[in-house]
Order: sequence, then C-alpha cells, then structure tokens
Amino acid sequence: MADEIDHGSEEFADARQEMDQLVYDSLKSKEMKPNAMFARLSDLAKSAKMSRTAVTWARKNSLWPLQFGLACCAIELMDFGSSRIDAERKGYLLFRGTPRQCDVMVVAGWVTKSMVPEIKRLYEQMTEPRYVIAFGECATCGGPWWQSYNIVKGIDEVLHVDVYVAGCPPKPENLFAALMKLQKKVGGSIED
Amino acid sequence: MSVTRINVGPIHPSTHGVIRLVVDVDGDTIVNVEPHAGFLHRGVEKLAETRMYMQIPPYTEKLDYVAPMSYDEAYVAAVEAAMGIEVNEKAKYVRTVLLELQRIASHLLGLGTLCNDIGQMFTVFMWTFKDRDIVLDLLQEATGSRMFYVNMRLGGMHAELPPDFAEHAYNTMNYIEKRVSQYETYVEKNTAFMERMRGIGVLSSEDAKALGVAGPVLRASGVNYDARKHSPYYMYDKFHFNPKVMLTGDNFARYKVRMLEMKESVRIVKAALKAMPEGSCLGMPVKLRSPNPVNRTVSVSRELPRGECMMYLVADPQKPYRLSIRSPNMVNLAAIGHIAKGARFADLFGILGTLDIIMGCVDR
Repeated sequence: MADEIDHGSEEFADARQEMDQLVYDSLKSKEMKPNAMFARLSDLAKSAKMSRTAVTWARKNSLWPLQFGLACCAIELMDFGSSRIDAERKGYLLFRGTPRQCDVMVVAGWVTKSMVPEIKRLYEQMTEPRYVIAFGECATCGGPWWQSYNIVKGIDEVLHVDVYVAGCPPKPENLFAALMKLQKKVGGSIED
Repeated sequence: MSVTRINVGPIHPSTHGVIRLVVDVDGDTIVNVEPHAGFLHRGVEKLAETRMYMQIPPYTEKLDYVAPMSYDEAYVAAVEAAMGIEVNEKAKYVRTVLLELQRIASHLLGLGTLCNDIGQMFTVFMWTFKDRDIVLDLLQEATGSRMFYVNMRLGGMHAELPPDFAEHAYNTMNYIEKRVSQYETYVEKNTAFMERMRGIGVLSSEDAKALGVAGPVLRASGVNYDARKHSPYYMYDKFHFNPKVMLTGDNFARYKVRMLEMKESVRIVKAALKAMPEGSCLGMPVKLRSPNPVNRTVSVSRELPRGECMMYLVADPQKPYRLSIRSPNMVNLAAIGHIAKGARFADLFGILGTLDIIMGCVDR
C-alpha cells in the first residue's frame, strides 16, 4: 500500500493541506461542523485520485489497538492508557475488546508456545490493514527467557512485525514513540 | 435443568493476564469453574538451575510483575539464608520501606483493575494509576528503575538511598494516606459497587484454611495470619502493626482488607523512615564467584502483596540445585471454583478481581 502513494506529488500535498485546513477551521470556529467536514472528506475519497490519500489520512489518525496483553509489558501498556501519559489525547488508544474493530496489535509480553495459536487467531480476525508492534524484549527476541523450552524467540517468528520497541519493560513513552513511527509508516513516509 | 458450558479466555479482555476459565452455568448461576493455567509458563524454576546465584533475581522478579521487588527480595533472602549472610542493620530498614512501598503500588493497581472488572470503567483506574505512578517514581528514585529493580544484593542493597529520599517518601505517604481514604469514600458510597461486592463470593474461614489460600484472601475470611507478624523478618516485629482481618469473606472483605493494608503500609513506611539508622546499607557486590553455601536446604517465607510465598532452595556451590516456589496466586486461583459456585456469571469477574491474581506467578 505504502508504495502506491507518491508523497512528492502535488495532489497529495493539496489534499492533505485541504484536510488539515478543514480540521483547523472547524476547531477554530469552536463549533465543529462534522457534516461539512465529512462531506468534503467523502468527496475527496470519491475522486479516484484522492481516495488513497484520504483513506490513508483517516487510517493513520485513528489507530485502534487491541485490548490484549500477555505479561509484564501489559502493565506498562495499561500505564500508557492511564492518566500520566494519557494516550487517548492523541487518538491512539481506543482499546477495543474485539479484534474485528482493531488496527494495531501490541504484543506485550513473552510469547509461549501455547499462546502462539491464540495470537495467530486474533491476528487473523483483525481486519486489514493490520499492524503489529513487538513491545519489549520478550516479544522482540525472547528476552531473558530465550533459553527456555516453552518460549518463542520473538513474535516475528509468527507474525509480520511493523515496529519493535526495546526495553525490559519499555517505558510507556516508548510506546508513544512507536505509535508515532507506525503513523508515519501508515502514512507512507517510512518504508517497511 | 440443562447446564451450558462457556469458555472464557485465554485472551480475557481484562487485566489479569492470559487465563482460561471453563465455566458451567445453569441459567445465570455458576455450577462449576475450572481454571486452566499454563499459557505463560516459561520454566523459571528450571532456568534458575542453569544460572549463577545473582543472575536469578531478574527471573524471579518477573514472576509477579505488579510487585517485582517482593519476589526479588524473597529470592535474595533465600540465598542469604543458604549462605549464612546477615543483612546489615540499615539495609533491613531500607528493605522494609521499599517492600511496603511496593505493596502500596500493587494494591493500588489491584483496586483500579477491580473497578474495571465490575464495570466501573476507567474512573477509579485512572486515579489509582496516577497514584501508583507517584509511588513508582519514589521507587525509581531509590533504585534507578521504574518497574524491574534488581536492587537487592547479598547482605544489603545495591546503592545507598538518595539523600532526600526520606523527605520525598514522607510527603508521598501523607498524600497516599489521604488518597486511600478518599478512594474508600468514593467507592463505598457507590451503590453499584456495593451491590456487586457485599455478600458475593463468600469463602468461609474453614474453607479458606482447607484450600490453603493466602494473603488478603485468607485474612478476608477471618483467619488472622500474616507472615510479617507470625514469622517476622526485618523490622516488622519492631513496629506496631496488626494484620488486617475481615470476617465476612465476601468480595467486599477482600477489597477492604487491601485498603486497610495500604494504610497500615503507610504507617510502617513512616515508622521505618523515622527509625532508620545512620550508616551504609550496601551489600556484597555481584561477583562471578559467590560464597559457598553453608546450608544445603533452606526455605524462606515472605508475605508478598498477594499472599505468603515460600522459596525452597537446595543450594549447590555457585548455583542452585533446585529452586521451588510456592506461589500465593496459584492457590488463590485454584480456589475460584469453590468461591464462584452459586454466584451469577457476571460476578465471576468481580470475584476474579478481588482475588487479584497475576498469571505470570501462577504459570511460572
């Protein structure tokens, strides 16, 4: 998907500028005009040239993670959603209980062999496009358990991972950075 | 009547790790709950046999990732007992302070997730996580890390406390004490909360003893047992404190015991800070060769936030021959079939929330 968007093109720049202007105006006037905004957005989406840009713009600004945690890093994931970091102010963290409504799966914790079928199944239930963040050492490479008999050495042995986060556990701020990186990737400014 | 079997989990959309419960319901009434553990099993005890003594704390502390320092300390205490090392006087106070801070952080998380579980989404959770972060800041100040500390060394600590730690800790404790009282007021005046807590999931004291449940779950059923009081370690016998006991054994009692314990912890921290002696609290630096054990078999009992843990260590030179862990979470989880029998299906998660289990510790 990412390779289809030409970021240097004028169309892209114009569409993005117009969308930003729409949002800016509606915020500035202090009275949201969602109808006008969405009408214009859908116009943009209807035109064949713009549809990719409009969809990408919408997609990258509404990344919904799956409410799913495995181990220690899930506690930091909870902290990420709580008051100090408050990820929801950036639009990231509308934790959903069902994978069918989600875009991002944050694999937070060690992946055991018995969890692999479950994680695969969750991933397959997510609608495309879907993204995976390997959060912490264990999900990245097995972490301290790499010699254990029941551990998968990183979730990337099972799924395609988009962003890796290092740390044991990473600080909640690191997940913020990871999601910003993922946004760039969804927007197409970072290659896979 | 027909019995329906419902599968819950293992990706349970809540905060207690990956647990699978097979629940038999008759209408809305639970007939049987069968917990299936093992989704997080990674063989801590086996890995411990392949590591040197002081390489193991990072593994043991990931058992209970809500209260890592408590497990860290329990393991180091077992090694100290095996090697016959005395903990130095100031380190005893420091450990007492840090362990109680960890207990407060753990119980705050427990309260937040409990309120999530019974449907009071995110209000109390947001508050308790804010306060938990404040306590974690304090621990970070003392140890340098936010979540996993590895700050225990044989006979002491890895570093001195920062000079202004006592003052910060004192102020924070005042704040936490105030907040805990506020939580009690907010939560207990809420009818919805009380309806789902009072009289639900009752565990009688006979059953609690027979099932071997531990910690706040045991004390909520009216059994006055706390390892800090009954086999005291460090400075716990010096300070005046009483194990908090409730008699009803229901969800409310289990919640209330934790709230009372937090207040008690605040008192212990303040007393320990006041009585802290001068001097150094440093322990032995981590070296490749550790001293040879003088006792081959030791068993150490510690009161963790979730109950009494036992570390059974068979010591070889340089590394453990066998490390066996009695996890309080395991026994508490095993009791859920007994506790939830006869309750409504929706109350299962309230009961799970008050048991406050951590699956990393159950599965090991």
